Amino acid sequence: MNAIVLADRLEAAPISPSKAALSIADLRVCFGSMVAVESLSLTVRRGEFVSLLGPSGCGKSTLLKAIAGLVAVTSGQITPADTNLRSGFMFQKPLLLPWRTTLDNVLLPIEIQRGGSAVDTTDRSNARRMLDLVRLGGFESAYPHQLSGGMQQRAALARALMCDPDILLLDEPFGALDELTRDTLNEELIRIWQSKETRLTTVLMVTHSIPEAVTMSDRVVVLSKRPARLIEDVAVPGPRPRLPEDADTGAIIRHVRKIVRGGG
Amino acid sequence: MSSRALAPLAFGLLLLVVWQAIVVAAHVPEYLLPSPTAILATVDRSLAVSFVVTFIEALAGFLIASMLAFVIATLFVRFHTLEDGLFPIAIALKTTPIVAIAPLLVIWLGTGWWSKIVAAILICFFPVLVNTVKGLKAADLEYRELFETMGASRAQEFRKLRIPFCLPYLFSALKISSSLAVVGAIVGEFVGATQGLGYLIIISSAHLETATLFSAIFAAAFAGIAMFYAIGFAERRLIFWSSGDAE
Repeated sequence: MNAIVLADRLEAAPISPSKAALSIADLRVCFGSMVAVESLSLTVRRGEFVSLLGPSGCGKSTLLKAIAGLVAVTSGQITPADTNLRSGFMFQKPLLLPWRTTLDNVLLPIEIQRGGSAVDTTDRSNARRMLDLVRLGGFESAYPHQLSGGMQQRAALARALMCDPDILLLDEPFGALDELTRDTLNEELIRIWQSKETRLTTVLMVTHSIPEAVTMSDRVVVLSKRPARLIEDVAVPGPRPRLPEDADTGAIIRHVRKIVRGGG
Repeated sequence: MSSRALAPLAFGLLLLVVWQAIVVAAHVPEYLLPSPTAILATVDRSLAVSFVVTFIEALAGFLIASMLAFVIATLFVRFHTLEDGLFPIAIALKTTPIVAIAPLLVIWLGTGWWSKIVAAILICFFPVLVNTVKGLKAADLEYRELFETMGASRAQEFRKLRIPFCLPYLFSALKISSSLAVVGAIVGEFVGATQGLGYLIIISSAHLETATLFSAIFAAAFAGIAMFYAIGFAERRLIFWSSGDAE
């Protein structure tokens, strides 16, 4: 799986003894002459919820895809603390296969991992558990076109959780949904991240919504316009749930907004 | 039966009645326009045999062409050099009229089954090839990235992603080529044959047996329609998730 992809590319990298889940050192990603990510260093600690915030097209998605092994690193290093680190990836679109039921869509990573036929009853009950976790219980045999946009994205989340990831890489996961649905799913994501139902401990989420980043994350990493460089790493203290209207949260939102306006 | 199926049947029947009435009332000679009842009278065992012969030729050509085109499309998508090198040749083949090639086929393959089957293959091959190549590339980059994050092999990506996404494209090509297959078989029979609907059409027109000519024409039309609807039926069963055609 992904962990293997990560480990393969970085065999010589030293394993950090700290509580890091993922270390990025002096990363540079280019597509031809276009530089998408420039001299970026970042450490994501185990158990952290980190948002990557930046203007559209700044290269934050490229950064996330580089971490997932989807785009090649030009120079620098991405080092998972543990070579067995398992990651799950979630895209802005649900990307469900329209000819598969919800349950079979959630089982897809298992089928691919095992090389096809060997999906057993344990996997099925696991998949059902994941669907319950994202509150899609009862929709196992529905096809994607029978689900709403929000429900499709819930199914995509269940599928990402199905490979039992330690870290979840989210690329504007609810960006295509209406605001109400998005708020609900953001809350659900926090609930699932905090619950002990899965191995999931660490979340790295790309977003361009400042309130979303601040209300959800432990840290907001503000990136510049392309090429993406780190402008500021903002820690967000305080218990969840947070509301943008809260005094403390509101102050941080204003602070981050000032950085975003000033930077890049 | 629904009214949507009933309406064309009723109109068709009305047309036949009017046709019959005109032919009888105006004493139209049979060699010019035979009446529907006169055409029906020519439906016999030899027409049925001709129909079966042509149908088998068309079906065999259709099946062979479809499988061949699918395999070659797969290779094209997998090896781009092959696509770049061979696609122009495929286009050249497509733009050459089948009527021009058919005499050559008879010289090479004789007046038996194979010259007709190959004519049907030549005419069916191209639409299936083009649409399958297009369909196998139809899955968005994001879907392919999703498969990559799950660590899918190329074969898994092909089986679980590209082929299902290709099916709507494949089937719209199959619908086109299924009726073309009958054209190919009949053209092959025109040039040199001892049986089949094309042969029957040539012979009956030479003898001015216009009623037989008509029944052969109707049989040819029926063969094409039957193939088209059989494919359409399979398509609706198989591709339940996609509405509308992928052209």
